[in-house]
Amino acid sequence: MNTPNDLRYTEEHEWVRLEGDVGTVGITDHAQEALGDIVFVELPEVGCEVNRGGEVCAIESSKAASDLYAPVGGMVVEANQAVAENPALVNEDPYGKGWIYKIRLANPKELDGLMDAKAYADKAAQEE
Amino acid sequence: MADLRRTVLYDRHVALGAKMAEFAGWEMPLQYPAGIVKEHLATRKGAGLFDVSHMGRFTVGGREAPAFLQHVLTNNAEALDVGMAQYTFIPNASGGAVDDAYLYRFRAEEYLLVVNASNRRKDWDHLQEHLKRFSDVRLTDRTDEIVMLSLQGPRSRESLEAVLESGPMPEPMRNALSLVRMAGTEVSLARTGYTGEPLCFELFADTKAGPALWDLLLAKGATPAGLGARDTLRLEASLPLYGHELGTDAEDREIPIMACPLAKFAVSLSPRKGDFVGRAALERQVEAFGRILARDYSRLADLPRRIQPIALLDRGVARQGAKVFKDGREVGYITSGTMVPLWKVEGEGLASTFIEEHALRSIALALLDSRILEDDCLAVEIRGKAVEAVVVPYHMRSEAPPYARPIVAGYVLEKKAPPAPAPAASATEKVRRLLDEALANTTWRQRECINLIPSEMTASPMVRLLSVMDPAFRYAEHRESKAFYDADIFYYQGTEFIRKVERLLEEELKAFLGAREVETRLVSGQMANAAVFSAMVDYLNRADRRREPRRIRCVMNNHIGKGGHLSAQPMGALKDFVAHDPRTERPAVVNFPVLPENPYRMDVAAAMKLIDEHRPELLIFGKSMVLHKEPVAEIRRFLDEQKIGSVVMYDMAHVLGIVGPHFQQPFDEGADLVTGSTHKTFFGTQRGVAGSRLEKHEERYALWEALRRRTFPGSVSNHHLGTMVGLLAAAYEMNHFKDAYQQAVIANAKALARALKAEGLDVAGDPAIDYTETHQVIVRVGYGRGPEVAQRLEDNNIICNYQAAPDEESFTASGALRMGVAEMTRFGMAAKDFGELAALIRDVVVRGANVKEKTKALRSRFLDLQYCFKGKEYADLLQKLHGLL
Repeated sequence: MNTPNDLRYTEEHEWVRLEGDVGTVGITDHAQEALGDIVFVELPEVGCEVNRGGEVCAIESSKAASDLYAPVGGMVVEANQAVAENPALVNEDPYGKGWIYKIRLANPKELDGLMDAKAYADKAAQEE
Repeated sequence: MADLRRTVLYDRHVALGAKMAEFAGWEMPLQYPAGIVKEHLATRKGAGLFDVSHMGRFTVGGREAPAFLQHVLTNNAEALDVGMAQYTFIPNASGGAVDDAYLYRFRAEEYLLVVNASNRRKDWDHLQEHLKRFSDVRLTDRTDEIVMLSLQGPRSRESLEAVLESGPMPEPMRNALSLVRMAGTEVSLARTGYTGEPLCFELFADTKAGPALWDLLLAKGATPAGLGARDTLRLEASLPLYGHELGTDAEDREIPIMACPLAKFAVSLSPRKGDFVGRAALERQVEAFGRILARDYSRLADLPRRIQPIALLDRGVARQGAKVFKDGREVGYITSGTMVPLWKVEGEGLASTFIEEHALRSIALALLDSRILEDDCLAVEIRGKAVEAVVVPYHMRSEAPPYARPIVAGYVLEKKAPPAPAPAASATEKVRRLLDEALANTTWRQRECINLIPSEMTASPMVRLLSVMDPAFRYAEHRESKAFYDADIFYYQGTEFIRKVERLLEEELKAFLGAREVETRLVSGQMANAAVFSAMVDYLNRADRRREPRRIRCVMNNHIGKGGHLSAQPMGALKDFVAHDPRTERPAVVNFPVLPENPYRMDVAAAMKLIDEHRPELLIFGKSMVLHKEPVAEIRRFLDEQKIGSVVMYDMAHVLGIVGPHFQQPFDEGADLVTGSTHKTFFGTQRGVAGSRLEKHEERYALWEALRRRTFPGSVSNHHLGTMVGLLAAAYEMNHFKDAYQQAVIANAKALARALKAEGLDVAGDPAIDYTETHQVIVRVGYGRGPEVAQRLEDNNIICNYQAAPDEESFTASGALRMGVAEMTRFGMAAKDFGELAALIRDVVVRGANVKEKTKALRSRFLDLQYCFKGKEYADLLQKLHGLL
């Protein structure tokens, strides 16, 4: 299981990478492994505003559908069309080409409420 | 997962890195590290290996086993012959499914019933309850004693053949079974499965042998596949899963069995099933089903909703439980749905191939209002949004082995570009183009190609010319009238010439066939067969013309897969004339058995046993893939000795032109009737003929009279008088030249076969007779490669046809070529020339060489048609005839 140190993580197995006031969001290696083949990604609409914990979009594996919740509040500024075209990118490169959307944070302090790599790795290890 | 049961292969799954999950009380592999998508795709292009040992396996034996199975299952268990399996339901009293199941009959005395793992306990209790009514039935739960593996996909067959130690593969059709040895153990092998793959096998063996079998099949290249891929594969094939499409619906109401599309094949209302469980309810459902198909919804209450496949047109995944709407009205819900992968396809039709890329598509099965029709536009509610979907007839088709072919909603075949010039072309341009293309086509086939299609023949110039003279535009209907001492009464004037032609043609063909009577008005061999079948029905009902005529009670013929021609099959001309066997509810057709060591030749001893058992009213000899003589004399002797009154018919379509001492003399050998087409080994034109040895005083002569009536007015009004004149000239040619021609044809076929063998090709048949006794040669070029190789030969001007060998599933899986030497023999090719041709064929088939110019050069030496009248003595008259065109 890969959990890069420069990211922040949520209980729902999402990661956020902050650059300026824009956070890139995806699902973790642990999550993609557990879900199996991702076969469908429903992207959020660019421009929509969400609160932290709000439902943003969904991903589906062969087995089940999972909703994705916003790790931080803000406005969606970009969605990764590449994963809509080729959902397997989420499996192949969850922290890179498999990112899902970018959000301009309404309140950058919300990031502090998320886990660091070590805390998330411990949590994920417990789940296994 | 401490309480969960494990199959004997558990350690194998763990060692392979499988993600294990609970399923129906078992700890089963959900997927292996490759993942569901790759496992699905590997099954569709290669072979997937599934451990399905969690399924429930009951054996049923005892004297009353058939009666018990008829009572507790919906399908007709009595119809199940040894060596076959059938899909079936375990019904409850109200016409719902306790479970769906597969019934196998590997041995005469014991049935194997495979049920869903999740229902095993419930099924067992249900069956035990009904067992009380029977005294001599042994029902045993063998789940723990028998391991069950499933090997599915286009490469499955070759994997199994590679590990077969002894015993035959099952016949190449779905639900066929065989008993074999592999991995040092006895294996019951079934062509069944849950993926829709046309090449599919399930293996049953002693549990202890499970790991060895598993390892062996993996070593042969199978991809291990888990329950996840099993589910996406069965969804793509639209196969039902209990708890989704069967059982109870989302509101806990029972789903009627007939709601499931497959029920049409798995519910029998045969009177011989008696009052089986759920019969009354199923009768109501079947009645409602019939009306729904006719869009009569008066019995909708008995079958309000049915399972239909739907495809999503917008982005989204329809999951079980999602509501489905039509025009804003809720019409049902999704029972199963997901994204499934499919290989992308390049090319169209037979030439379409899977490429190395895949896509995903969103498909589902839904329980929908029975009034919803195919192509209806629907909306599926997914996370509050309406996603557009359409009702489709299927998601995939299995009838073109070796591959299951995905059918994508809305896909339209690329229209072939309209030939230039554009539609705005003037009439003159269009006509000139037609003339030009006819010229090119005729030049190519007549001067540049080696024509080896065994059912084709070029007619002589004289025959061709005579076929387009005045009679080609006339009518000459006639029938014999008893009021005038059987005089032939013609309905039109101006027919004196054609009347004479027909009489002369009859005499020539009688002499040729050794027949007492012939009928020449039939315009094709297929029509000749249909007329005989119709005459049989007429004849069988001659004592009572008022009641509903009965059909032919039982027919024996050559199976289409063993070379039998379509026109003698229930799927062809026999369909409307053969009765259904009340036991099997299938057309009452029994196939001649073939020798295990030579599937091109009839097993005469076994055939005699079957004739004695079934007492067929009609025996049909003759084949379109034919290397041997038919055992007419032996079977006739047997019929006479046993006093069995079967009518013996020999469909000589392919071999009509070699009738005689060098091949067979059907009437001397004991045939009652002969049919044929006049343009394969015979000299053309394209027509049919029937002949008989029946004499007027014989009781059977009524059959011949019926055949005359079923020809006219039964089959033809206009009997194509132009080609009849041509055929008379061809019959003159045949009767004059036949001795030399027939010897040359058979010698050339043997020479071609020997030469192809010497060139290293795999020639089918018996080397002891030089592979063939007819005009045909069968060459095996590798499973499924027939169409591609035949096309390559055509590209090199060698025209033959791809052919499924007796062990192959269908023409799409053809691994053989069928070649006939008659036409090229007529153009003068001799044994050494066929040797030259064999080398060219080898160059194309084996080396992929371009030999087009060499083929043309070979053909250019054989442009002058032989065995025909072409001397100066005819020139003046031919010229005058030409002048009249």
